[in-house]
Amino acid sequence: MASELAVVGKRLTRPDVAAKATGSALYTTDMTLPGMLTAAVLRSPHAHARIVKIDTSRAAKLPGVMAVLTTRDVPDKLFNMGTSELLIIKKEHLIADQHVLNNPVRYAGEAVAAVAAVDEATAQAALELIEVEYEVLPAVFDPLEAIKPGAPRVHDFAGNNIAQHLSHPYVSGDVEKGFRESDAVIEGTFTTSKQKTAPLEPASCVASFDANGRVTVWSPAQRPFLARRRLGEAFDIPEGKIRWITPLIGGGFGNGASLRAEPICVALAQKTRRPVKLEYSREEQFVATETRTRFVQMVKLGVKKDGTMIALQTRVIADAGAYFSATGSITGVNMAYLLGLYRVPNTAGQADIVYTNTTPSGAVRGYGNPEGMFALEQVVDMAAEKIGMDPMELRLKNHRTTGEPSRSPSITIESCRLAECMQLGAEKIGWKEKRATRNKAGIKRRGLGMAVTTHNAGSFPRMLDYTNATIKLNEDGSANLTAGCCELGQGITGVVSQIAAEALGMHAQDIVVYAGDTDVNEFDAGCVGSRATYNIGNAVVRAASEAKQKLLERAAKMLEAEPGELEAREGRVFFKVAPDKGITIAEVAKDAIYNFKGDAGQISGHCSWEAKWNTPAFEAVFAEVEVDTETGEVRVIKVAQAHDIGRAINPLTVEGQLEGSIMQGMGWALTEDFAVNSKGILESDNFTSYKIPSSMDIPETEVLLVEYPIESGPFGAKSVGECGVNAIAPAIANAISDATGIRLFELPMNPERVLHALHRKEAGGLSY
Amino acid sequence: MSKQIVRLSVNGSNHELLLEPQMTLLQALRDELGLTGTKYGCGVCECGACTVLVDGKPVLACSILAISVRDKDILTIEGLAGNGNLHPIQQAFIDYGAIQCGFCTPGMILSSKALLDENPRPSRQEVKEWLAGNLCRCTGYVKIIEAVMAASETMVKGGSHGK
Ligand code: FES
Ligand code: FES
Repeated sequence: MASELAVVGKRLTRPDVAAKATGSALYTTDMTLPGMLTAAVLRSPHAHARIVKIDTSRAAKLPGVMAVLTTRDVPDKLFNMGTSELLIIKKEHLIADQHVLNNPVRYAGEAVAAVAAVDEATAQAALELIEVEYEVLPAVFDPLEAIKPGAPRVHDFAGNNIAQHLSHPYVSGDVEKGFRESDAVIEGTFTTSKQKTAPLEPASCVASFDANGRVTVWSPAQRPFLARRRLGEAFDIPEGKIRWITPLIGGGFGNGASLRAEPICVALAQKTRRPVKLEYSREEQFVATETRTRFVQMVKLGVKKDGTMIALQTRVIADAGAYFSATGSITGVNMAYLLGLYRVPNTAGQADIVYTNTTPSGAVRGYGNPEGMFALEQVVDMAAEKIGMDPMELRLKNHRTTGEPSRSPSITIESCRLAECMQLGAEKIGWKEKRATRNKAGIKRRGLGMAVTTHNAGSFPRMLDYTNATIKLNEDGSANLTAGCCELGQGITGVVSQIAAEALGMHAQDIVVYAGDTDVNEFDAGCVGSRATYNIGNAVVRAASEAKQKLLERAAKMLEAEPGELEAREGRVFFKVAPDKGITIAEVAKDAIYNFKGDAGQISGHCSWEAKWNTPAFEAVFAEVEVDTETGEVRVIKVAQAHDIGRAINPLTVEGQLEGSIMQGMGWALTEDFAVNSKGILESDNFTSYKIPSSMDIPETEVLLVEYPIESGPFGAKSVGECGVNAIAPAIANAISDATGIRLFELPMNPERVLHALHRKEAGGLSY
Repeated sequence: MSKQIVRLSVNGSNHELLLEPQMTLLQALRDELGLTGTKYGCGVCECGACTVLVDGKPVLACSILAISVRDKDILTIEGLAGNGNLHPIQQAFIDYGAIQCGFCTPGMILSSKALLDENPRPSRQEVKEWLAGNLCRCTGYVKIIEAVMAASETMVKGGSHGK
């Protein structure tokens, strides 16, 4: 590695943004194919109903309608829309429980039938002509109701609606004994909400079969190879007969880790043998794509007077919604972080995954971790208050650090800079000073809160974490890199081009990246689980280093030197001892192709990389809030977020990821409410009733990067994608408590809940 | 209803289109003219992804009929860069890291242009208020606001106004 980095660590412009700024960037819905049909989906008005009769004859006869799809036309095969479960080591985590179209339907808004027609207007008109007779069945929307005896059954096989029971595999000690030996035991039950990822781009798909029966699927899927496999399973099509292309994605956040519009679109393309496009409306994106899992988490913590944590237990009810999708692994991850952030000798964790007649849950940024932190990090504050200790001191004393087991005990933490993150964040927010002087009287009260978190880089060792990268040099000194990095907006194409450029001695703008095409790329597990920079980056470094070796060898021949005497940097190969003396990479690359001396050999490098390690990132979040005790409104004044990044490959994009996650976390904490009425109909299916933060909601933010390069990451990098969202809601909750003395156990912490808790406190009820 | 001939002037070019009278401007731009830079995010005036400028004013293309803007000057994101030169707002969005997935970007940039044309030196607060109707799920808005402030600086100093 060059002593000083030339490309990595620079705030370079990403390769994808010029097209995005000028309107030429292409997303799935921007595609048009000759003869393409438009699809539309008929959705159930009932939360649980058997389709007794469905008459599509009038719709089919409407001029311009090319196909009507009902349960009769889809494969008689159960599958699972999530892709994460596919990889999990323990097969029992996977439950295949849905068809492309289902009867009965199990949530309001579930697809009942679909149409492909020559245009949108015709497709919509055809939907109106489909006559469905439903037998409405009893339904259940709350996971705690669902497990009661006699509750309506969502799936026949699941008694008490329990799809699966999980025991946390990494328990230790004797938790009951631990509580007995504790000086203080704190317990609370915390309920999280079904947050929507709400990417600005709704789900969509274009599918087209060729004359040989091979299908090409374009969609904003975050894991093209696993989406291909899952789709193939559902339709009994071998992988090689599916070409999956992920174009630019208009925001992922996990939503693209599951199949969404693809199965229906492919079924219609198969039936019509014409290209079909299916674009979800915003309402459909709300009601018919997966949400964050609603968790009801009982968390119990035992501490000694001196702050030593000695027992921690969780019992979790996870609301899968109508179908299982990825809820099994999400729940496993939830317990792993909840029990694995702190060094506690006695732990235990149990979970039930429960069906309800609501929109299915699935992968959402953080994947169970933010839900766990909302509970755990409040309980930690409650414990600190009980034993009279500063909440930061309590965390400093107990968090796992370098050399200790991570949340996956077989992995030792390579590097943890959480203490420094805490100190830095505390300084920026004014932790000591402001907590001493804050105004706790009056109508508007200010408070400070904090929370900490950790997040892995990928899913090793629980799941397969495998990727490939190939780079080749062109005769002009540019390079093409194929790597598994779908561009969701996170800037991964820029990150891998900077990594490759650094490793090869090139300029980042000379590297063109190809990703997301299963015919062109080699296997990759996708842009999920905060894995891309760390794992794909590791493959790219090695592929580029292999190419560099060949570059230096050829340059050595040309310069009549030994490869070891040479170095490459910023587009040139030169003598280490005489940097002025050298040759351009373009000249070497050209000699490798237009050789004419019998010594051609295009310069390339390849790496097949299966993750061997997993070094988590750490983060401390500090929030200052103002609570209006008359209206119940909470205003976030300032957030300071310090992130242990290892090394920021591009600080501009790392900051962008963190700034975005602050706002997504704030939305989840305060305003975003997936509200269903008494009949299970989603009421918040638009941006007015489901309020994501706008520019008016930005607090003062300080994003702080704590950089200590690690051994196992590419140029020392850790991960950033999800960690930033984990600790926002609990930091805000703790700040609200600091300001008012109330404890909020349920998300979102909206004015009604704040007022309710304030009234209860005034009435002399327990504050918690 | 029968189709009508509608003349639309988009990015300086005139188009004669045969349109259903109920067709929105968003559909006309995307489906008839192939100008896919203008995005659908909600269809009901809630996200700003479809923002275009009509006679210099921001308009939500998803919720306005194409026939209602016949003979007016429509500017979409594709028409903002003049002669291959990026508009200072586009350049600032690129330079300041204000673009992530990019789905909100065309609407954001055109909204910002309308603001800076009307108020060349807005305060941060004014930028925040102006952009409140343009949702972004990726950036947290911080770098978008920085970019607009920087673009204002460039434009006031006499940087190219693009179109
Ligand atoms: S698509 Fe027009 S405002 Fe959202
Ligand atoms: S950059 Fe993705 S919505 Fe704004």
